Amino acid sequence: MTAEIGQAAIYLSVLSCLWAIVFLGIGLWIRNARAIQSGRNAVVATFILISIATGALIYGFVTDDFSMKYVVEVSSAAQPLLYKIAALWGAMSGSLLFWLWLLTVGGAIVVWQNYQRNKQTQDTLADYSLIPIAIVQLFFVILVTGLIEGIYNPLARFPNGQVVADGQGMNPLLQTPLMAIHPPTLYIGWISLTIPFAFAVGALVSGRIGSGWILRSRRWMLFSWIILTIGITLGGNWAYKELGWGGYWAWDPVENASFMPWLLGTAYLHSVMIQEKRNMLKLWNILLITLAFQFTLLGTFITRSGIITSVHAFGGSGIGGYFLSFILASTAGVIGLIIYRWNRLKSANRLESLLSRESAFLLNNWLLVGLTLIILWGTLWPIISEAINGEKSSVPEAFFNKVVIIPGLLLLFLTGAGPIISWKKITANNFRRMFLLPLVIGLIGGALTWGFLALIGYTFPLYSVLCSFAAVFVLAAIFAEFYRGAKLRAKRQETSFVNGLNLLIQRNKRRYGGYIIHIGIVILYIGIMGSKGYFLLESQTMTLGESMEVGKYKLTMIDSFEKEYSNYLRSGVIFDVEKNGKRIGTMEPALHAYYTAKPDEEPTKESAIQHLGVNDLYIALASVPRNIKTGGVVNVQVYYNPLIGIVWIGVAVMVLGGIVAIAEKSERSKDALISEA
Amino acid sequence: MKKQSRLKIIAASAVLLAGMMFLVVAMTRSTSMRHFTPALLVAAENEAHDQRVQVDGLIAVGSSQWDAVDFKLTFAIQDRETEATVNVIYEDRLKPDNFKDGGSVFVEGKYDATQNLVVATKLMTKCASKYEGAESAVSTDETSYISE
Repeated sequence: MTAEIGQAAIYLSVLSCLWAIVFLGIGLWIRNARAIQSGRNAVVATFILISIATGALIYGFVTDDFSMKYVVEVSSAAQPLLYKIAALWGAMSGSLLFWLWLLTVGGAIVVWQNYQRNKQTQDTLADYSLIPIAIVQLFFVILVTGLIEGIYNPLARFPNGQVVADGQGMNPLLQTPLMAIHPPTLYIGWISLTIPFAFAVGALVSGRIGSGWILRSRRWMLFSWIILTIGITLGGNWAYKELGWGGYWAWDPVENASFMPWLLGTAYLHSVMIQEKRNMLKLWNILLITLAFQFTLLGTFITRSGIITSVHAFGGSGIGGYFLSFILASTAGVIGLIIYRWNRLKSANRLESLLSRESAFLLNNWLLVGLTLIILWGTLWPIISEAINGEKSSVPEAFFNKVVIIPGLLLLFLTGAGPIISWKKITANNFRRMFLLPLVIGLIGGALTWGFLALIGYTFPLYSVLCSFAAVFVLAAIFAEFYRGAKLRAKRQETSFVNGLNLLIQRNKRRYGGYIIHIGIVILYIGIMGSKGYFLLESQTMTLGESMEVGKYKLTMIDSFEKEYSNYLRSGVIFDVEKNGKRIGTMEPALHAYYTAKPDEEPTKESAIQHLGVNDLYIALASVPRNIKTGGVVNVQVYYNPLIGIVWIGVAVMVLGGIVAIAEKSERSKDALISEA
Repeated sequence: MKKQSRLKIIAASAVLLAGMMFLVVAMTRSTSMRHFTPALLVAAENEAHDQRVQVDGLIAVGSSQWDAVDFKLTFAIQDRETEATVNVIYEDRLKPDNFKDGGSVFVEGKYDATQNLVVATKLMTKCASKYEGAESAVSTDETSYISE
């Protein structure tokens, strides 16, 4: 019965979405407050209806209702409760419903914030932006109704009252807590991008393209950015821990699909500052946010449409066409609105000099958008190459690694140069005061890195030297900013340096939160440089008692073991780890054989990871033979990943900086709105 | 003065754009690999001989052999539609999870037409996430690959 209620709720939400679009549209057109209120209510109604549908599906999982198609597909009676609920986004139909539900939450939040705000001011921007939100909701509602070929309703039952004895369950590889959080995190990040996009559309429709929409959308974008940062990293962390290939990023189309909106969002967060400060780049900002939103849909299209089948054989599911149509239609809509509002989109100011804060921001944007397009090019190369000469080709990981280095290093340099270069035009004084010392320190850092790498046998590590130079320069530049600001505050308030620093950050959370993010970026770069550039990989066939060497480490396989757990059998070997002849611990790489696995499914690798400071020793096994105690051989693959710990630390610092920055509730935004209205 | 700096900005943007495009085109040319199904690879053996290629197909049932002593995996990739197969050798690397008879597989490596053999440097099997078509409610059609 609950499934039927859920289905009915989905059908009704078609009406509530249409209601919202029509009544908000008419209400704003003829300025009728009651119609507008009715439209807002419909947005809330959609949220309630989709919550009912989602709840009904979760109820199906929890009660093991194996008459429901979707429950059978992704859940099973023995599945732990956490993964029964995570099954919600375990396959196509459910994940679309989940996506839709998050979008309705976003819509409801916009209504709520607007209600709070309207106690003080009458502002219709949010009402305008509810229309595009409702349109996007309608698109997803139609996808999950089951009326469209290719996707069934997630609440549908098998025909003729058929009930299956047990579900197929979720793949064991996905049954880790990380995998339970990773997809919803990315979804939240992607979906929350809809809201700033909707504000941009609202601004275009209403004609108020000043800084009002920017201020409203900026915090939403920062929120998306933080969540996407976390989501992407969780994915990398999961791959690193679970997949046994010792890496965390492989430029897979799915990874690229999550990374591209992140890059565009980063560009947007920077370019809005130019619009705020100098009233420039209005059109660019609207284009950027539109692109960022479209890239979240494009990501779905790329990974789910089957369009790159021959390379990665994604299940061609037939929804690609709908996504592509929606992308094209909504982009055409935005372009139409831009043409309609062309006169209001002109910049009030122009760039005055090549060496200025504005130019630095612009270069940052060029590079970020450029990187996005390069990654898109590489991801779509199979299609592009076929279109060019009829031969399907694709580019390997190496393409991406090589092509992102130079723009990536320029961007790194800008994270330090951008915040310290003066607006309008650099002056000799600005250069002497702000740049000279960080540059010198950076050069020393680069030289030291060179010396160190030369000592351990790398003769001309150009990129590492450049990366270290830029990294040290950025750190010096940003710490100097903190130092100068804190000292000034301390002096003015006649308090200690630490208090001054605290006050400094409190008073301008956005700016200094941003600087903290920049510090995180530097740390991340150093981690990537070490782990991608200098990892060691050794493979060996071993028997008990044998040893192998990886760098300074000696690994001796001393024993094997087998242990039963509630849903799998764990078998593995024990290594004694020595560094320079000194014993530092043991490691236990293993394999998990799930009892529910099908006969032809092999056990999954459970690699052993030993953190040695920020460096990791990583051991993966192929199999543990039954005769291991009597001379059977084990195939071992060992990675030494230098500085990989710094990757995670860097991301953590970035997230921390994001949280500091988002904490600033801009009072100016209200003023701006009032003055604009 | 203003006009001059505008020119500079345009010139700098052009240089940047040209540089990026050059980088992309050059890297695409130097790394791009042709993609084949086993049937197409066998048919194009002269062109593909000694080239780095990508092959995508199914693990031929019963063909896979894991030689633990030599740390070596050998198997044949079968075409999804025809009987054509290509042999694969993959050394000194672990088998990815989900490597099983009849499963989807994707390899990258150099093709030796004389032995109809790909010496693989990269081997991927299908990933665990299962976004699939509607009709496959009771199948486990999966999507992306896990790279090894």
